Amino acid sequence: MAVLDIISSILLIAGVFFGLSGAIGLFKFPDFFTRVHAASVTDSIAAILIIGGLLLQTSFDLNTAKLLFILLFLMITSPTASHALAKSARHGGLLTLEETKDGQQEQGQ
Amino acid sequence: MTGVLAAVCIAILVVIGIALARAFKAPTVYDRILGVNMFGTKTVLFIAVVGFMMGRPDFLDIAIVYALINFIGMVAVLRFFEYTAPVE
Amino acid sequence: MRIGKWAALLSLFWILLSGYIQPLLLSFGAISVVIVLIVLKRMDDVDKEPINISSGLRMCRYLTWLVGQIIISSVEVTKLVWGPTNKLSPTLAKISAKNSPKKAHALYANSITLTPGTLSVDLENDEITVHALHKSSIDELKKGEIEQKITKIWGGNK
Repeated sequence: MAVLDIISSILLIAGVFFGLSGAIGLFKFPDFFTRVHAASVTDSIAAILIIGGLLLQTSFDLNTAKLLFILLFLMITSPTASHALAKSARHGGLLTLEETKDGQQEQGQ
Repeated sequence: MTGVLAAVCIAILVVIGIALARAFKAPTVYDRILGVNMFGTKTVLFIAVVGFMMGRPDFLDIAIVYALINFIGMVAVLRFFEYTAPVE
Repeated sequence: MRIGKWAALLSLFWILLSGYIQPLLLSFGAISVVIVLIVLKRMDDVDKEPINISSGLRMCRYLTWLVGQIIISSVEVTKLVWGPTNKLSPTLAKISAKNSPKKAHALYANSITLTPGTLSVDLENDEITVHALHKSSIDELKKGEIEQKITKIWGGNK
């Protein structure tokens, strides 16, 4: 195995690990807004690491550019999507954990 | 190297499975959308990894198209639910 | 000038995605670029907020700094996921974005969301509503490190 292959495998496996912890956070965290956090972790860090790992396996041609474009696109859209999600949840009347604790009626859970 | 890529594929499939489980069973409608969103982004990564594993980098084009469709679909669904969502 | 920049960017994008250098396909690309430019022009007339492509080294430096931030804070959030959940202290707070130029507000809010641990929920009247997993990250945002970076790139309040 060449050195590049080893670095690339490490990056790929690290990316998958972050992705997995985000998916578990999706079930483990107590309220909706904290769960959005868990998802945004996976989106940004797993995309960077996995695509970085794949980048090392290209021979620096058109595929490299395409991979970089996918990365750029994910980095722009994933925070936008999480923001849109949080905003529409807020407008839809979902309360945060703190507000629920402050004597409001039970929500969601 | 193919072995590592295959393992990564299986692990991403597990993550996709968890996200789908969340989409099927969640306390609020927004949690479901969150699950679907994570499913979408992980699918983009999955397609890219599979393309490299099978030595067919043309799969990257499909990944780009999927990323675009996923984002537009998300925004459309959220626009629909922004003011009309039933709080379950 | 601005149209020229967009034309160059779009042509580059077409060649990147197609990868073929044949007269037929290149002419299809030229037609698509022209159509997109016409749509862009019409949308600018409605919008009255033309968007310039900011190029250069400073943007690259900002992006590398952002990636560093993402790595640091995602490690923290991952620790929270695998550890006990009672360490969480979710907070909602309003951050003022008055000092950064109006054009860069979207970039600012996007940066806040991209650094995990903080999430921008709403943006109105120069104020960003931020949700954070930890009270400490709100304090850090209030110091305005990201805002200073963005103001440096986009050149102050216009």
